Amino acid sequence: MSTENWKTYEPVLIPDIKNLHTIEVYEKNGGYNALKSVLTDKKKWPDQKSVINEVKEANIRGRGGAGFNAGLKWSFMPPADGGPRYLACNGDESEPGTFKDRKIFEYNPHAFIEGALIAAYAMEITTIYVYIRGEYRAYIQMMEKAIEDAYRKGFIGKKIFGSPFSVDFYVHSGAGAYICGEETSMLESLEGKRGYPRVKPPFPAQKGLWGRPTTINNIETLAHVTSVINRGAEWFKNVGAATHPGPILYGISGHVNKPGVYELPSGVPVLDLIHDVAGGMRNGKKLKAVIPGGSSTPVLRADQLDGITMDADSLRTVGSMLGTAGMVVMDEDTDMVDVLWRIAHFYHHESCGQCTPCREGTGWLEKILLKIKNGQGEIRDLDLLLDLTTQMEGRTICALADAAAWPVRFTINRFRDEFEARCKKSVHALV
Amino acid sequence: MDYKFTKEDLQEIENLKSRYPEIKPVTLPALWIAQRRFGHVEPEVQKLVADTLGLPEAHVHGVASFYTQYYKEKKGKYVLDVCTCLSCQLCGGYDILHYLEEKLGIKKGETTKDGVFTLNEVECLGACGYAPMLQITNDTYVNHLTKEKVDTLIESLKEDKVPEYEKIEMPLRKNN
Amino acid sequence: MPEVIIDGHKYEFEGEQRLLQFIQDQGKEVPFFCYHPSMTAPANCRQCMVKVGQYVRDRESGEYEADENGEKVVRWFPKLQTSCNLMMSDGMVVHTQETDELVKRAQKDNLELILINHPLDCPICDQAGECPLQIQTYKYGPEGSRFEVKKVHKPKRVQLGPRVVLDAERCINCTRCTRFTEEISKTNQLTITSRGDKNYPTAAPGTVFDDPYSLNTVDLCPVGALTSADFRFRARVWEMNQTPSIDITSGKGCNIDLWTRDNLILRITPRYNGDVNDHWMPDEGREAYKLFNENRISRPQQKLDNEQILSSWNNAIATFSELIEITDKKDILIVASPHASVEENYALSKYANLMGLMQPVFVAHIEKGKGDNFLLTDDLAPNTNGCKLLGFKEISSKSLKTQVSKAQLVIFIQDHFIDRGILSTEDIENKKIVIFSSNHSETTRSADLVIPVTCVAEHAASYVNTDMRIQRSFPAKETKYSNRRLNLEMSEGRLDRHGTHFDNWVTEDNKIDCLPVWTFITEVAAFSGIDLTLEDGRSVMEEIAGSLPAFSGVSYEEMDERNGMNLSAEKEKSKTDS
Repeated sequence: MSTENWKTYEPVLIPDIKNLHTIEVYEKNGGYNALKSVLTDKKKWPDQKSVINEVKEANIRGRGGAGFNAGLKWSFMPPADGGPRYLACNGDESEPGTFKDRKIFEYNPHAFIEGALIAAYAMEITTIYVYIRGEYRAYIQMMEKAIEDAYRKGFIGKKIFGSPFSVDFYVHSGAGAYICGEETSMLESLEGKRGYPRVKPPFPAQKGLWGRPTTINNIETLAHVTSVINRGAEWFKNVGAATHPGPILYGISGHVNKPGVYELPSGVPVLDLIHDVAGGMRNGKKLKAVIPGGSSTPVLRADQLDGITMDADSLRTVGSMLGTAGMVVMDEDTDMVDVLWRIAHFYHHESCGQCTPCREGTGWLEKILLKIKNGQGEIRDLDLLLDLTTQMEGRTICALADAAAWPVRFTINRFRDEFEARCKKSVHALV
Repeated sequence: MDYKFTKEDLQEIENLKSRYPEIKPVTLPALWIAQRRFGHVEPEVQKLVADTLGLPEAHVHGVASFYTQYYKEKKGKYVLDVCTCLSCQLCGGYDILHYLEEKLGIKKGETTKDGVFTLNEVECLGACGYAPMLQITNDTYVNHLTKEKVDTLIESLKEDKVPEYEKIEMPLRKNN
Repeated sequence: MPEVIIDGHKYEFEGEQRLLQFIQDQGKEVPFFCYHPSMTAPANCRQCMVKVGQYVRDRESGEYEADENGEKVVRWFPKLQTSCNLMMSDGMVVHTQETDELVKRAQKDNLELILINHPLDCPICDQAGECPLQIQTYKYGPEGSRFEVKKVHKPKRVQLGPRVVLDAERCINCTRCTRFTEEISKTNQLTITSRGDKNYPTAAPGTVFDDPYSLNTVDLCPVGALTSADFRFRARVWEMNQTPSIDITSGKGCNIDLWTRDNLILRITPRYNGDVNDHWMPDEGREAYKLFNENRISRPQQKLDNEQILSSWNNAIATFSELIEITDKKDILIVASPHASVEENYALSKYANLMGLMQPVFVAHIEKGKGDNFLLTDDLAPNTNGCKLLGFKEISSKSLKTQVSKAQLVIFIQDHFIDRGILSTEDIENKKIVIFSSNHSETTRSADLVIPVTCVAEHAASYVNTDMRIQRSFPAKETKYSNRRLNLEMSEGRLDRHGTHFDNWVTEDNKIDCLPVWTFITEVAAFSGIDLTLEDGRSVMEEIAGSLPAFSGVSYEEMDERNGMNLSAEKEKSKTDS
């Protein structure tokens, strides 16, 4: 796709339809037809596998940040054995800079519910849980209402559309823990425990909730499933960047004139997102840096952004990642030391404390950065910080330590001058 | 103090049990019910939850202490959770926090003497595009904060008027 | 058979095995903290990192692929792996810290991180000397610390329960203690509280960590975060001698270690025996050490004008012999005891035999409901089955009362029937009472002759547990008549080997003036002109094994070799053999 095409894109996930969040309006606009088709049109969808294949073909790369092909993930579920199987929908979005799934809860909850039901049918799931972060009280209530309506209409429950497929659907509220967005930690939290990520293997598809096969998908990912069934994998593949196709909910925040969530094809140029979509830099300031996809994705300097588009491949060329597409924009007045300290503070606060490198390392990073921020740092502290990132990365059960380490490594490497300028010139007092 | 669930609470807990294949998963929702009932989950409330569910007290305590939204001690009537994380930091979250500290005469983490306000600095609340913002007692988000908006908020909360949910439109929509 | 290559050496293995355990089983080492063979592996300490790869097989031929030099191609995992939770597979290639610099570095890095918030208060920490963190830091840790900022502060000196004290700052969050109460004792009394680097283990607020197995968490704790309220600050571990023994407070016969300094037992810890108690023991059994030190009877005591006075061994031997001589044989009642060892009971029974006395009877010591299907048993005595196998008649408490009432001379051993409420002082009025005992009690105070005998901590002797397993003790402390330098059964401590006269075993005060039962019986027999020599536990057991079929094949060598012997299994074996 040409990088200009985004300008003519019409939103599909959250289209411009009034009161779409109500089940009546949703139905009027073709809602639950995808589910009906999958369950009753045996010619088009002869079996569960045909649905999985379609989703796999569409290459919906997980929108929670890891970017794994959703259909492929579904295919990892072992054959059904008559026992319970679970779909856990991840609505814990807590990565700083990320605020997109709440838009689905608010504006098009049924697209997500329908996608989840299709996923459940495809994987022979018996119960769906949607885990929503506790802070999203308003959205939890909205989702509860939407699920209740769908139950009432018979889209959830027993023998849906007269087919043999039955499933239950429940909301489970978090209570304030970023780590529960990590999929196995979320399972622990769903099981009523402290949110400690699980050691893998076994993977959730083998042993997930209560030891049973479980698949975990992000909310946006599941909402896309509805579009894929409605419009076909071909359509989805032709939206946006070839290797990371489909629409994306971009969350843009920071120093721009029109921050917010925008539904656009993947692969929109970063600078277009800032200058056209989000209305340009606030107060006419110059762009300094961008964190492209949530706080853990490596920061990019303004001079790295020419021609870079919002997809995994393009971002990789400049050493970053798409993550959750929650873009944080920083202007020329931004103090990178402050920003990095605040990010480190976040990961320190959110480390579950299970693994040594993360529990101890996140705190150490923050404390050194605080020292530097306060003008008490020394040049060698920068090297210590970089050293610590290698001590933490890849050495823990989940990726939180990595997520804490990367911003430190890349922010220091990409803004080293600024950090050095904040450090004391000499370890010896100048008095 | 003797904490007891109401009949409705117990019914709600009973209903929750049917959602899961075992009791343990009810821990989080039951703690929520308790917190809404009593305003906190101090150890005695944790014990009530444990006893009601027939789970070990240590388990309930471990869970309650892991999640930041559960109040392990009594808080003010309105808990103001000011986000200062990344986007909010960039957009003046600390100014709002410090303004509130000054205005309420307390430091973050403290409660006003009259017990009306508790002020906290919190991590990302998922409202990055609407920064700076705060959340009132685990519930309503108040976005796009300015000093003036904070003043109005405090005044109305003093009169027990909690602001309504602020709907923020998708920016590309024209239809609404 | 599947193979795994560890540091270039090939090992064959069978079945499902965790890599770290396998490495240890080969006598090799990879440092770790959170792993424990009897519990789940949470892999949270991240210390046991190794580099792991797999030989690449050609898909079609199934042959290993080789590079141009003919070396097998290895596909390495992209990240280092924790060996504790990694299941081995055929063709797995492992590099430990011994052969891989990255692994070495990772382990060092991890130790640096573990130590940043650790108080490093080894000089005042009870764990010092037996501390995995201390040992592994010494072996694998960094030489210094680069941590120059503030440590996290947490609660100290928290009395979690009657027996366990917490210092949360020392905790490294391995979760062994919480897993113990979840998976082993199943009381679920402990949890980790808070989050991140504020984490530490605790009981729920307002609750008491009174798990009957709570002290096992102290043993499990790889640092000094959990310490024993009783043993805290009593001794440094290197000052003590460690002697294997058997728990005598229940029928289970948990395998234990006695820790001795200056002839006092200072603590009891469980000793691994997969067939009996695994790595655990009940807290109650640990308190028995007091019995070995306190309230001991030293020198024989005799009643004179209705008052007990200290006597001499010569007097005691003469008095004992005279009492036997002047009493009608049918009026002599010998009550053996499940609280005494096989050898001690046998000595009495053998003496009775030679003197033509009635064979001993015994009363079991049962408290219904005490058992928990784990390590506590209804049986409060360590050797009930031993008495049965020796052929003694088990009688009820009531029947004991009757038999005592009919007897003129009653001989007790290590059983305190007045204290147990089975006999009253009236029951024994106008009777002559002789008791062999290690400790004073109401019962010994009512006796006419009290013979101080060695306790389980002072002799080698055997006990048959409720599962018919015979196990034995070793002498852990000296009596007035024993010398650990000469008694080869006694263990040497670090200070015995390396210390000076001034820093160990400096006092003679704590040596009890007592004799093993068999020695006293030998003396008594000699006094009466009977040919009976019972030299020590070992030879007594040889004699028993040779004469009683129930004990055939039993010897100290076999017991030591096999960590105890299951007598019912032995019986089955001898049946099939014949």
